[in-house]
Amino acid sequence: MISKNLTAASTKPLILGILRQGNCYGYLIIKKIKEMSGGTMAWSDGMLYPVLHRLEKEGFIQSNWEMAENSRPRKYYQITEAGKKELQAEREQWTKIHSLLDALWDVKPAN
Amino acid sequence: MFDLEKAIKAWLKDFRKHRAFNTGSIREMELHLRDHIDDLMQEGFDEKVAFQKAVKAFGDIKPMAKETYWSQRPKSNNSLINTTMLKNYLKITIRNFWKYKFYTAVNVLGLTVGLTTVFLISLFVNDELQFDKFHEHKDHLYRVVENQYYDGQPVFPVAVTPIPLGPSLLEEYPEVVGFTRATNENYQFEIGDRKLVERYGYQVDEGFFEMFSFSIIKGSVEGFKDRLNALVLTEDLANKYFPDEDPIGKTIKLNGQEHVVDAVMENVPPNSHLYFTYLTNYLEYLNRRPERATAWGSNTLYTYVQLNEGANLEALNAKLEGHIKKNLENSVTDIYLQPITDIYLGDVDFVVEVSRKGEMIYVQIFSIVAVFILLISCINFMNLSTARASKRAKEVGLRKTIGAQRGQLIFQFLSESVLLSIISVLLSVLMVALVLPSFNELTKKAFEFSTLFQDGRGLQLGLGILGVALVTGLIAGSYPAIFLSATKPISTLNSQSVTLKQGAGLRKVLVVFQFMISIVLIIGTIAIYTQLQFIQNVDLGYDKNHVIYTSAPGEQAQVLANELRNQPGVVDVGLSNRHPGYVMSSSSGFAWPNQNPDETMLIHFMGVDEHYMDAMKMNVLEGRGFLPGDTAVVMVNERAKEIMGMENPVGVTIDAYGERRIVGVVQDFNFKSIHTAIEPMIVFFIPSPSEVYIKYEPQFENQIAGTLESTWKNVFPDRDLNYYFLEQDFQEMYEAEERTSQLSVCFAVLAIIISCLGLFGLVSYAMEQRLKEIGIRKALGASVSNLFVLLTGDFTKLVFVSLIISIPLSWFVIDQWLQNFAYHISLSWWIFLISAIMALGITLLTVSYQSIRASRANPVRALRHE
Repeated sequence: MISKNLTAASTKPLILGILRQGNCYGYLIIKKIKEMSGGTMAWSDGMLYPVLHRLEKEGFIQSNWEMAENSRPRKYYQITEAGKKELQAEREQWTKIHSLLDALWDVKPAN
Repeated sequence: MFDLEKAIKAWLKDFRKHRAFNTGSIREMELHLRDHIDDLMQEGFDEKVAFQKAVKAFGDIKPMAKETYWSQRPKSNNSLINTTMLKNYLKITIRNFWKYKFYTAVNVLGLTVGLTTVFLISLFVNDELQFDKFHEHKDHLYRVVENQYYDGQPVFPVAVTPIPLGPSLLEEYPEVVGFTRATNENYQFEIGDRKLVERYGYQVDEGFFEMFSFSIIKGSVEGFKDRLNALVLTEDLANKYFPDEDPIGKTIKLNGQEHVVDAVMENVPPNSHLYFTYLTNYLEYLNRRPERATAWGSNTLYTYVQLNEGANLEALNAKLEGHIKKNLENSVTDIYLQPITDIYLGDVDFVVEVSRKGEMIYVQIFSIVAVFILLISCINFMNLSTARASKRAKEVGLRKTIGAQRGQLIFQFLSESVLLSIISVLLSVLMVALVLPSFNELTKKAFEFSTLFQDGRGLQLGLGILGVALVTGLIAGSYPAIFLSATKPISTLNSQSVTLKQGAGLRKVLVVFQFMISIVLIIGTIAIYTQLQFIQNVDLGYDKNHVIYTSAPGEQAQVLANELRNQPGVVDVGLSNRHPGYVMSSSSGFAWPNQNPDETMLIHFMGVDEHYMDAMKMNVLEGRGFLPGDTAVVMVNERAKEIMGMENPVGVTIDAYGERRIVGVVQDFNFKSIHTAIEPMIVFFIPSPSEVYIKYEPQFENQIAGTLESTWKNVFPDRDLNYYFLEQDFQEMYEAEERTSQLSVCFAVLAIIISCLGLFGLVSYAMEQRLKEIGIRKALGASVSNLFVLLTGDFTKLVFVSLIISIPLSWFVIDQWLQNFAYHISLSWWIFLISAIMALGITLLTVSYQSIRASRANPVRALRHE
């Protein structure tokens, strides 16, 4: 199980990453994350929404209500150019940390 | 039993406790929960468990609300206006305007025409209301007017007063701080070898210049204190006689007397009831006729007074009332003060009123018409907007779904209509600028677009126009806004679109109302027009057609008349001392046998020669007309015969400035406006009246002035000639009515155009909605004519309803108006019939274009597209 703090920190790149693959609405985003993580993320679904709204306010994503004849209305989110750049930056950071940790854990304990 | 909807509602309640969530985000989370529940149920959980699981997965609400991530601040959540929404409203508005160009154009056009009319009418009305308000002391200036009381006759209001009245008021009442007498006196101007009678002269006292705010351009009016030959010219007249030089100090002979130009004054503004082009000193007249200074018995001039600041009008009027009776025994005259600003639109029909006189009733009629026309155009807007509600219903549903409150929607639709009306207002200002010259021609006013915004009025007018835009937008938009915002999102979103039926009832009422106004205007216009035709062709008791007249000096009128009788084209020449349509001289001093000694009767009089009645084609009913050599004879009119109570007046001797014998009775003729009934009159036989009336053959219409001129030159080689046509005088007399009739024709036409425009829009929309129905009917064998009857029937019914309401209404209104005339048409059925046919015809024309188009369309096309 991944800790709360780490989950919170990774929400942003996760959401941006999913939206990068295509437009998506809140429930579907959660569903995808859960599927991909195999249920290991300690999320409460509701916490997604404040983050989505913050990201929208920061201009990384846009939203649009879509009505369909035969299903519920959905609020679709879409990544913006700024969002793509932000995702790139996040990716670099996470990669750095990842490689740092990797490097650390590869070193044999010195005794 | 578990109720999912109830459970979800209860769950949603928690969100509302926190201000962080707005309706949109709550809706978003609700949909999330529902999606999750659906998924869980598909996995095999029952409703209750699925709900519990989904709620649990969603997590606590409280920590979510604490998050500061919510993009919209609570403050702006609840505000009706925020910039993002405004931008969106604007975008949607523009898209809508563009998408439905036709309806937008109909709306804008209707509103523009309506507003243009309203602006023009307000210009007119405002100008009428501004009469004499340019005087600085306007609140303290009054005209002294009279009420004369004669037995058996209604109160006789008179605008002219005795000569000594002004000075004595100043002397006796401390409230009166200034006075001036004013009387029209036309002089012959003589400068070098130019001789010309100038028509608009006034004799005034020195107080005139202090009381009234006619501004002096140069020179001084001090001369009016004591110099008898003082003279003030208006700018135009000064330019006429002294085009290239300074007129001040120059001399002009007025009726042979030398006068010195003391000052030049600005031309009299168009909104002054007094109109003149030059002023002379009244003292000059008194100097010639000193005995007149105490003539309390004759009313000859206007008296104006200025009161001090604190004067109480009512108290003063009470004191003044019997002033003339105090100075003249047996007088039947009371006086009172009339505020100067009431003169122009006053409702009392004074005898000897100034020529510039308006009618309050027209100001009121036009104001009402303006409001009606504005209403008609607003109704167009309402009808089209509500009719098209179905097109907007989805949008409303969506907006509501994502959290729009009703207030926000109302705001959105109102701002849309205000925007539209602002566009129309701007267009109509442009229209006003374009049509102003023609409007001036019609109303005889002198509005100039460039000056409308001057003198600090710019801001006022700008604000006014903006106000009109706002009010119009709000009125026109109110109903659609309330109507549209009330749509239930559920019904709009599950694709059962709102049908035309919604609001149809009110739309019908509005259409009926619109047509009611239009029909009233049509009927009114026809009635005014027929009444005017009637007046112009009414039997005046004499023939005003083909008469040219002039005035000749003293006894030489006879000479001129004799010369003229030998000219080709001249039928006859008669002399008189009064204009036949304007006899104002009257006296109560006549006496006849068996007269009730307690009764005072006012009888008008005029003097003519032996040819006059023949020349004017007046009818002698009893006895005979005048003959050459008659002495001490008079004739009376039918009305005089009646009030004198004589069966056989011919041969009776009466006391009328000496003993005179009645030789004949002349048929009643209108010697005043047709508005008033014919009054009693005595016609004197006098040897040499100075007004020369020449009756000519109709085919000499174009030559007669030339004939008169050449004859005049023979008789008076050194005098200029002024001549007038009697018919033209009548046209001027009824100019006010003529103008009203033309204006009402314009307004009626505009009202009908606007109504039809709205109807056209409505019909086209209805056809659009019924395309399928029409298609099916056609497919089943309906003929074009069947369909035409079906489609036009609905609207024709509405026009019928309007007719039923508007006919009695207009009958009532027009009947009131006609009471103004002593001689008027009776409202006959054909006026209403014609109006009804016109209204129906216009409606059918409007509707049929669309109906025919719709019924001829190929049904396949209508049925094919879904």
